[in-house]
Parts: sequence; C-alpha cells; structure tokens
Amino acid sequence: MSNVNFEPKILVFSTNMISDPGIDLAGMSHIDYPPSTRILRLPCSSMVRPEFIIYAFESGFDAVFIAADGGDCPYLSDCSERTARNVQRAVDMMKEKGIDQSRLRMAGICSVCSDAFANGVKNLYDIVKGLGPVNGSKNA
Amino acid sequence: MPEEEYDALVIGAGVAGMEAAIDLGDMGFKVMLVEKEPTIGGKMLLLSKVFPTLDCASCISGTKTSTVSHHQNIRLLTYSNVDEIEKSKSGFRARIIEKPRYVDASLCTSCGDCEDACPIIVPNEFDFGLRGRKAIYIPFDTAVPKSAVLDLDNCIYCMQCERTCPADAIDFLQVPKVHTVNVKAIILAVGFKLFQAEKKKDYRYGEYRNVVNSMQMERIVSPTRPYNAVVRPSDGKEPQNIGYVLCTGSRDKTVGNPRCSQVCCMYSMKQAQLIMGSLPAADITLYYMDIRAYGKGFEEFYRQSRDMGVKFVRGKVAKVEQKVNTDLTVYYEDTEGSGGMKKADHDLLVLSVGLLPNTDIVKAFNGIKVELDEVGWIKVRDEGKSSVLTSADGVFAAGCTTGPKDIPDSVLEAGAAASQCAAYIIKKMGSPIEQ
Amino acid sequence: MSNEKRIGVYVCHCGGNISDYVDVNKVVEEIKKEEPDAVIVKDLMFDCADASQSEMIDDIKKQKLDRVVVAACSPKLHETTFRNMAKRAGLNPFMLYHVDIREQASWAHENNRMGATLKALAHVRAGIAYVKSAEPLEKIKAETTRSVLIIGGGIAGLKAAIDLSAMDVNVVLIERSSKLGGHVAELGEIYPYYTAGSEIVKNLVDELSGRGNVAIFTNATVVSYSGYLGKFEVKVQRETSEITLQVGSIIVATGFDTYKPYTGEYGYEKVRGVITISELARVLSTAAGDGSAELIYDGRKVRQIAFIYCVGSRQKPPEDGGHANQYCSRYCCNAATSEALTVHRKFKDIKIYHFYRDMRTYGRNELMYESAGRSGSIFIRFDEDHPPLVAEEGNRCKITFWSSLIENQPVDMYVDLVVLITGMVPSHNEELNRALSLPVGVDGFYKEVHPKLRPVETNVTGILICGTSQAPRDVRETLSSASAAAAKAASFVLKRELELDPFVAFVDPGLCEAHQECIKECPYGAIELIEESGKKMAHVNSAKCKGCGACVAVCPTGAMQLKGYTNAEIKSMIGGLAR
Repeated sequence: MSNVNFEPKILVFSTNMISDPGIDLAGMSHIDYPPSTRILRLPCSSMVRPEFIIYAFESGFDAVFIAADGGDCPYLSDCSERTARNVQRAVDMMKEKGIDQSRLRMAGICSVCSDAFANGVKNLYDIVKGLGPVNGSKNA
Repeated sequence: MPEEEYDALVIGAGVAGMEAAIDLGDMGFKVMLVEKEPTIGGKMLLLSKVFPTLDCASCISGTKTSTVSHHQNIRLLTYSNVDEIEKSKSGFRARIIEKPRYVDASLCTSCGDCEDACPIIVPNEFDFGLRGRKAIYIPFDTAVPKSAVLDLDNCIYCMQCERTCPADAIDFLQVPKVHTVNVKAIILAVGFKLFQAEKKKDYRYGEYRNVVNSMQMERIVSPTRPYNAVVRPSDGKEPQNIGYVLCTGSRDKTVGNPRCSQVCCMYSMKQAQLIMGSLPAADITLYYMDIRAYGKGFEEFYRQSRDMGVKFVRGKVAKVEQKVNTDLTVYYEDTEGSGGMKKADHDLLVLSVGLLPNTDIVKAFNGIKVELDEVGWIKVRDEGKSSVLTSADGVFAAGCTTGPKDIPDSVLEAGAAASQCAAYIIKKMGSPIEQ
Repeated sequence: MSNEKRIGVYVCHCGGNISDYVDVNKVVEEIKKEEPDAVIVKDLMFDCADASQSEMIDDIKKQKLDRVVVAACSPKLHETTFRNMAKRAGLNPFMLYHVDIREQASWAHENNRMGATLKALAHVRAGIAYVKSAEPLEKIKAETTRSVLIIGGGIAGLKAAIDLSAMDVNVVLIERSSKLGGHVAELGEIYPYYTAGSEIVKNLVDELSGRGNVAIFTNATVVSYSGYLGKFEVKVQRETSEITLQVGSIIVATGFDTYKPYTGEYGYEKVRGVITISELARVLSTAAGDGSAELIYDGRKVRQIAFIYCVGSRQKPPEDGGHANQYCSRYCCNAATSEALTVHRKFKDIKIYHFYRDMRTYGRNELMYESAGRSGSIFIRFDEDHPPLVAEEGNRCKITFWSSLIENQPVDMYVDLVVLITGMVPSHNEELNRALSLPVGVDGFYKEVHPKLRPVETNVTGILICGTSQAPRDVRETLSSASAAAAKAASFVLKRELELDPFVAFVDPGLCEAHQECIKECPYGAIELIEESGKKMAHVNSAKCKGCGACVAVCPTGAMQLKGYTNAEIKSMIGGLAR
C-alpha cells in the first residue's frame, strides 16, 4: 500500500490563543515540518466535534492532528480532558468506518511549543506515510 | 506636538502594569501605558513555565499583551521613558520621551531580513547574555510590538539593513519624540531589578562559566531556549548534577538586603521540576535556609518536588571552587544532619538571585514626594488601608514596585491599584461614563 | 439573501517574505480560475501598508464587495488591523477572514517552494470557503445594573464596599452574623503595622459610614440567585423577611475559620497551659506591659513559652487518601513572630522556644523573625515525621522534641505556656455554595478560574471571590484582593451597557432534540432547557457564554454551534483545505 510518492495530507486543528501561536513560532524559527499540513484555528480544542474529524477524512485528509491547549487555555482549565473525551468518540467512529486510529493524534501545544508541534506532526506524517491514503485502507 | 489627555498614566508594561491598564480601560477610563523597553510583557514574558500550576508564561502573558495592544481605551508607548512628572491643574503633567527605534514600527513586518543582513553581534539582554543578537534586532519571538529596533550604540552604519529591508522601514533620521500628557492619576508598575550575583564574590558568578543566575537558567529551561537543549555554558555538556543556591542576595545583610525575596524558593523548585522533565537522569540539589512555600498551592508544589526526587539540603553555601574539567565544588555549612562544613560537587550551579528595587522613576517626580522605604522600594503610605497607596496623593503602586511579589499577588495588587486609582479619579472628576 | 457573493482576495508578498517561497502569482491565478465569486483577486507588496488598505477600502466601496479574504502574516499581528479597515469601508468586520501564509507557509517550508505554495493556496481556499458561509456579527450588548452585592462583612467585604462606593457604584453588603469586622475585629496588634485589628475594622467601618450609596444588612444570608452578569436577582433572608436585590455583580468575601485543634492535639484541652495563637492574641491585646511586667496566665507565672507551628496546616497526606490540610496557612509564621515580639516588648525575661518547620516570614516579615531572635526567642526546627510531644508534668508543660542538631535524640524541656500556632480553614458555607454554585478547590477554599489570568473570577461570570474565602492571606493581602475584586466588579457595572464578543454559542432550533449533553458540558451554566411552542430545546444565555465551544463538540445532532465558527463554516473550510 505504501507509496513513495504518497504525500499524506494532515489537518491540524489549532487554537487562537495558545497552539496557533506555537505553530507560528515553528515557522518563525524555520523548523522543518511537512508542508502537506493544513491548519484550521478554533477558539478552544474542546470544540472539535468528532464529526469534523470524520468529515476531514471523508474530504481527503489522511490524518488529523489536534493541537490542544494543555493547561493554559483561557476558556477552560480542563479543556484537554474534554478534548480527549471527544477524541475518544472520534476514535470509536473511525473504528466503525475502518479508519486506522493511528491517523488521529492529539497533543498539548503551548504558545512556544514549536518543537513539540513539529515533532508531533512529523511523527504522524511518517506513520501515515506507511499506512497509505485513507481511502485506500478500506475502500480501495 | 499637542498635549494629550488621559485619565491615568500607567508606568511599566509588565504583568502588573498591563493588568492595571486593562482593568482601568475596561471600566471606561482612557489610559496611557508606557514601557521603557522596546517590547511589553516585562520579565514574565521571558520566563518558562510559572509556579505553582506550571502554566506556560508566554501563553498567559500573550493573552494580556494582545489585549493591551488592541484595547480601545489604552494607548501604548514602548521604548519610552517618563522623563518628568509635575503637578498640573487636572492632576499631573508628564513628559515622555519616545526613543527612536530607527525603524518605522508601522511599516516593519518583523520579517527579520535586517537581522540576517547586520554584521554586528552583541549579547542579547533578553536572553541575559546567553545568546547573541544583531545591532538591529527583534527582541524575541513573542515580542509585542513585533518590530525591529536598531541599537545605534553598536551600529557601524554599514547600511546593510537599510538596503535589505523590503518594507523600507529603516529610518536613520528618526529623532526622539516628546509626548506631553495630562493625567488625573498615575500607577507605578515598574517591577524589579535582579540582584547582581557578582556582588556575592565567593560564588564566582561571571568568573566560572558554569555558575549561572536563575534568570539565565529560566531561559535555558524555556522552550525558546538558546541552545535548544539544556546544556551548561562552559562546554555544552548536559548537566547531570545541578546545584541551586537559594537566598543569593536575599536575607543577607552583607549585600545590603536583609529581606526575603518571596519568589526564589518557588521558582527554584519549579526549575528543578522542569529540568527533571528535560533531563530525567539529572540530580538536583537545593541549598536553602527555609523553604517558603506560602502561597496558594505552593506547599503542595513543595511536597511534589520532594516526591519527584529533588534533594533539599538545609545549609548556607560559603564558597565555590572550579575544577579542571569546569565542574564545581560547593562548600556549605550544614545546619542540619551532622553539621559543620561540608562539600559537594556539581556540574552546574544556579544562583537563585533575589529581587531588588527598580525605582529610579521617583527622580522624574518634580515637586512631588514619592517616598522610598529603607531598602529602596516605593513606600506604602498606610498598609492598614491599602498596599497600593504611595506617599503622594494620586500616585498608586502595583506589583513589585513596593516589594517582591509572585505573579498571582502582582496581578491581584494591580487590580487593587486600578480600583484605588478609579475611585480617586471618580471622586475628583466624576465617572468616565457620565462625562 | 441573494446567492451572489462578491469576494475580494488580497494575497500579500510581504516584500518577499512570502513571495520568495510561495508563488504568489500562481495562488492568484488559481483562485481567479476556480472562484467565480472572487470579483477581485490581487497580490500586494504589503497588505498592511496604508496605501494597500486604502486600495482595499476603495475596492470594497466601488466593487460593492461583501466579503474579503486577506492572506498575509499571522492573524495575531494584523487581524485587528484588517477588521478595522473593513469597518472603515462600511463592511461588517466579521465578513473578513485573515489567513496565515507567512508563519505557517512561506517561513515554515522555505526548502519546499511547491509545498509552501500549495499550502498557501489551500489556506486561501479555506478563507474563501469561510467568508462564503459567513454572516455579519455584531458585538452583544447587555444592560447592567449599577449595583453590587457583597457577601461577608469582614475586612474584605468592607474594603470592597468602600472601593465600589467611592466609584459611584451602589453597594449592598450582607453579613450573616450580627456584627461587622469578622475575625480581625477580635485581634490585637497586627503585623507589620502594629495597629489593633479592632482599630483597622473601626477605620474601615468609619470610612464606609455616611455614604449614601451603601446599604448594610447584618443577620442576613443568601437564599438563591437567578440571572446573569449585569442582571442578577438575589433573594436574601433577613431576620424576619425575605428581600430581593437587583445587582450587576456579586462579590463573595466570606472569610475563613480558625483551625481548632482536636482534643489531645499537642495536649490541647488536656494539658493545662496549652492554648492557641488566637487565645494568646486576646491575652496580649488586653495586657498592659512596658517591658518590666510579669505575664500571668491561668494563675501561673509565665517565664518560658513554647510556640508550636503548623498546627492544622501542612498536614501530611494520609496514605489512605483521606483528608488533610496540606496547604500552608501563610499568615501564621508572621503572626507568631509578631506575637513573640509583643511578648518580648511587654514582659521581662520571657524566653520563647519556637518549634517550627520552615520559618516562612517572607518579604519584609523577615525583619520580625530576625528581631525576635535578638529579643529572647529561640528557634528549633522539627521534622514533619517527628513533631514535639506535649505532656503535663508537675505544674508545668513538658515538651519532648527531636532535633537534628542534637543527633535526633529526644530532649525534654519544661515551659509554662504552650501556644499552638493554628492555621486557617475554609469557613462552612454549604448553603451559600449551593445557592450561588460556588466552586470549591481540593483545599476547601474557593477556586478562582485562573490564579494569574482571572484571579478573582469564578465560572459564573459576574460572581467574584476575594479575601480568605479563596486562600489564607494576611490583612494587607486580603485588602488587596478585595480591591481587585472591586475593580473587576466595577468593570462590569460602571458602563451602562456591556459589550461582549459575538463569538457565543447558539442553537439551531430545527436540529435540537433536547438531548441536554450541552447543558452537562457547559462549565459556565450558560445553557438551559426551554420550551418553545410545545418543543423542548436548549437555549444559550449569551451573557453567560464564554465562547469556548465545548458544547458544540458534544451535541449529538449538530444543533449547538458557535457564532463565527458555525459547523457549516468549519466544514466548508475543511473542504477548502482538503482540495
């Protein structure tokens, strides 16, 4: 299934105040990470509906990375736990649809956690590169 | 330039000054917020994570820096000194000198091309000398405003930056701008200075490269750290056995500061916990007199540090010697255990330096007496009434202006200063809404 | 609404910082090709430059643009700039979307021009997709009542009342007991300013009296509340009647209780001569003494006193996970050294042995510690696993202690008085906590939303906490926190109208099936179940909503959404990013 020309497309959910600045910092520091990532910012990671994640896979993304707020969220101090519960529901839905759960990753990214972000995305990229395109895993 | 009118002048845009300005702005008062550095956020923005909840300092201050820079009631002046304050009919008239950045901040896109072009490297004060910067530089990644500033003292006028700048933002012809503002009240939020560890001669700071101060260590453990790794300065080796000397420059009459600096115990334990995260195998020893974990959640943090394996040795460090391999030998008086003078080896020694007054601003007051206490902090007029009142009517103090304070207490006191200041203005002039 | 959309797209070069790595022309050409609604697609050297902004304003007006996408640096730098530009052009600022193609594209992928360009293109497509489904948003305006209810008539409540009253805010202060002043009213001289507690209270009460905008009710308690920030309605029980108050904000300043040692704890209530610091304070406040007097307590002449610190504080967590006061009570080391100084000042030849764990005389209080050491106080440290023992022997108290300096061998000493330095415990307010749904932390004190970001706020916007109800504090710190709460309350009620961000949750009534997951998830109590024309559904109170979106994620039907980030907007953006 793995294909050398396959470029996994990764959707990143970031948050306005915390993880999006962390991702910005990766760019400012010219830290290398796969350009096939696309970034969508929201107020808080606890807002990510499992349906958004499934929709991303259905729209052609091969992986989803949730850059959560950690403990620094200006809205909710426990937003990571909330996000984790939503991610678990997304994983259940992915199982039903036959999507490998290693295509979904959540990590706490603070506003200066540029390395953590780049490493997390790279790691996910490598895993998904081995898995192949999402629509190839079951429907192909 | 015409004189400008504001309700309040807040001097210092660290965490306390920003909080006080936001509180006043939210109540509807017009505020002028002045910062002497080219960026706001004060010392907090340079910290790694902050005790006792280990939240990321940049994330917390980021919320405030962004509010301050976009608030409709706050006018922000950076890189500016308050030069003179005198009484006026409405309250006070202040003369503020905005230093030339030699960069037009409204054009600068913070791309950093000028930094790449500049051939001059000098130590970066925002990294406490651990890293270099260029003569033209953006102070750090999270600076606000995000604009380059040219340090003319180190510039050789090669004009490389001017030629390179894609936005034509470099302007060597800038001159200081003088702002005259009339305000009804003033809040001093001038923060603190670090104790200069050189003064504690036996600890050999500035001489042995592996003796660093706690602010340098703060940069080393932060995610935006200089070497992108926790390494010691002398040879880039990962330290495995780190010592902390608490009360460096505090509780110490020999250096003229008999008081306790309130934050050093906690920040040292915090750094220890962060180092354990980066270097799980490292041994960390704190040499202390008393562990002052007195604030909300602090004692729990202390217990957690002990449970994580941080070693606490009750004893006063007498002197430090360097070995051939740049490791260090620490001689300390053991005030517990078997007692007497003992020695221990460390490969990195952190001096937990205390906080000292930064109150030169009082010199700017002309004909207005803002008194200092015996150590040089701004004196509180009546603590039974409020700890933000200075000896001058209409002049309030927030944060470390009146003495060392941790961040939660600084933020609270900034709120208190805003409250007293608002009440003062309303009593004098009426409510901002009715006007 | 007409289906025709007139979108303007402005792609920034950032003087090469974007265009060196992102093929800006290609982005512009692609968008022109695939997006018929994009009536203007331009690349500009600097989007943020004044000239460029004027050009955009011109375009918006002349070309009747109703949506704009700016593709430039990070929105953190210039989103406000461009939204203000839109406002000046007469366009609703939320019909403009700012996408990042510098920090997140050109700078991030300098070594991959094609990759950076494709990413930039995807981000621009997402911006276009967003504005296509966007709707104009307005700031939410809410009327406020210019009055504040303060619960608790100790020094915190009094201080908050003074500040707010001075700010022209009407204040109602209620106190559950029959008198004002709380614990402080009973204290003698208080460090570090050597004023009697009763004096401090008297000054505060004097300052408050005669103000026309303050009402004080003693023997009064809260029954219930309803409403939200700006418009709370609180039912208060007074001696014989129940009254209803309309207030804009509520400050809780209910204070602390002193820790009461259990019988036998260090000999308390068993050994004659064992008292607490509060009892010592009472003795000292009434005792006259000029340095030559003798101290007599309970008929016993006192020459030696033992202070035992951390009683009821810094307790070791029990292994079975049971409750312990693990926190430090903060004020006690300072209060104890201060009382010791008073003893030394008033009476002659008294030795005080301080059995302590860490001397936490922080800041300037260090000077009291040092001064006590010079005045006849001796400090002996003990370990948490080896606390001193107190027993009665003859007419004296026997203290057995272990010190590392004496090789951990037990040592006996005899004193005439043992003072237990007791800490603070949270006061019992179960009914109030229920009535206001106040959050209590693991230590039993009220929990703020965030100690640095929002230190006096609770999850219910407009209900504030301060003083020792939140954490142990001394007088000075309590007054500061009360003033801070007053400042926050003033920022809520000083303006006649509050302006709140428009990014709040809302319900699509057609989709809501009243599963109530959102109600369970909302930490701010902003969602309630209502019935509208026979149908049960969720309803969001915009004044309570903070806009986190947590409710959106848990809604089984997708009825719950966030303004500015609707499900349609997010999905269309995902679609745009995926192409």
